[in-house]
Amino acid sequence: MSGVSVDLIAQVDALQAQYIRALDNRDFQGWVDTFDTAEDTAYFCTPAENVDNNLEIALMYDDCRKRIEDRVTFITDIWAGTFQDYRTRHFIQRTHCEQKQEGLYLVETNFSIIYTPESGRSDVQVAGVYKDEVLINGGGAKFKSKKAIYDTTVLPRYIVYPF
Amino acid sequence: MTEARNIEVKWPKNVNEVPKEIFVREDLFEIEQEKIFRGPEWHPVAHTGELPNKGDFKTFDLGKVPLLITHGQDGEYRVFYNACSHRSNQLETASSGNKTEFECPYHRWLFNPEGELIGCPNSKEFSPGFKREDYPLGKPRTELSYGLIFVTMSEETPPLEEWIGDVMPTFKQAMGEDGDLRLLGYQKVSYKSNWKGYNDNDGYHAPLLHTAFTLLNWQGGQGHQYMDKTRGHLGFEADLKPVPKSEMIKDHSLVEYIGDEANMGSRLIQFFPTMVITRHLNIFNIRFAIARGPVDTEVHYAYFCHNSDDEEMVKHRIRQASNLLGPCGMISMEDAAVFHRIHIGSNTPGNAIFQKGVTSFDELPTDVKQNDESGNLPRWEYYRQVMGFERAEV
Repeated sequence: MSGVSVDLIAQVDALQAQYIRALDNRDFQGWVDTFDTAEDTAYFCTPAENVDNNLEIALMYDDCRKRIEDRVTFITDIWAGTFQDYRTRHFIQRTHCEQKQEGLYLVETNFSIIYTPESGRSDVQVAGVYKDEVLINGGGAKFKSKKAIYDTTVLPRYIVYPF
Repeated sequence: MTEARNIEVKWPKNVNEVPKEIFVREDLFEIEQEKIFRGPEWHPVAHTGELPNKGDFKTFDLGKVPLLITHGQDGEYRVFYNACSHRSNQLETASSGNKTEFECPYHRWLFNPEGELIGCPNSKEFSPGFKREDYPLGKPRTELSYGLIFVTMSEETPPLEEWIGDVMPTFKQAMGEDGDLRLLGYQKVSYKSNWKGYNDNDGYHAPLLHTAFTLLNWQGGQGHQYMDKTRGHLGFEADLKPVPKSEMIKDHSLVEYIGDEANMGSRLIQFFPTMVITRHLNIFNIRFAIARGPVDTEVHYAYFCHNSDDEEMVKHRIRQASNLLGPCGMISMEDAAVFHRIHIGSNTPGNAIFQKGVTSFDELPTDVKQNDESGNLPRWEYYRQVMGFERAEV
């Protein structure tokens, strides 16, 4: 983890844990709160196939704070009552962390999501890697940007919740 | 043809009813592969905008049949069976790429993107009279229209222009008038739905499903649907009013139209059996569907820009397309949910009964208004005829 202190690593890990705990608890305000409040804070969820071919289309293209907040509106208001609900469990493993500049860290974390439909069996939904920019200052850690790049070339169902 | 297989389906008398069993009976799937997917229909498999450079290729499946689509060094687009002409080992495994030659690893037979066999070791010991030129990659019939590449495995399929038929004008507009499109990327997903349930409910349907339209106070403009007389392909054209700014979403660019308002309308095409194409706001979306199994329909949502777009327009299209019309889109996620739920519900007895716009139980609709569901009925009648199911007399 190229010279990043144990204390900083602990803050990065705490942020990731906060992120997946919020999603798995369907606490979407909690999910938004893991992101920095700056206008250009970004969340992308993109198939690896597009990334590999320099194609920019994403599954979720939230390149500003407003879009991250709008995503919560999609889930809680716009789509309410239309979809078959499912629980998620995220499993993550940090694989890399380096300092990009003072207070800004580049972090890579493998993730997989097990999903369980209402009255259904649990199965793997997706596997991939988070490529994140994490801001750490006196107030704690926040995502400046988060890219969930998923390997799963064909998703096993339609998607409601962020990865 | 397997007329003798004795597939019986009780098709109801009224033209606005479809027997639910056809969505869930697994024994129909193989017959459909033969009569429809390998039958006298054209199937879109790629757009030239996915293969802009010489040597670019894409693999795709027509039902279970693997295809290799290439952009040759001579500039031609070709579609081959993705199988070595020797022992039929799958030739290319990647979903896309750029190559000057394709090598089968099994006996090292080598093909160029034009499909010619250009190398095969030890051929002196091959069967008497063996000639390389007798072993090009096999290929289905192929035709292009506005850059969309179609194949058919039947000799009986009419020429493509005739097959597209009455919906050609809307198809042209949906492809940006000239088909000069460039790929921006994919969203790929598998639906637990029969291909017929997918096609019947994707594309155009009543907007009641979409809470977003109501919440945004987004009134669509005047529009109409019309159907091809032979196969029931559906064309939909609507004016589109600008979406009013709303408190509901903070980033209005998601639903903002950039461009000349005269060109702002929605265009939608549903080709029999599975293809949906839509031009909506600033989105060009071609949905390549694969009927993989009775309850497994894979859809590749491919998004495009026009080659004349400036950088800002390309960015806008990417930002809008990603979040609006796919399997996680603000509007279309709900459609995807319906594909699954219709399939589950179709395991119950009886018929699915269409209502809105139905004016007769005996005759297929010709005049279909914007929000009618009767526009799907000519496609169902065509399906019934192709499959040879008798309509009940009472």
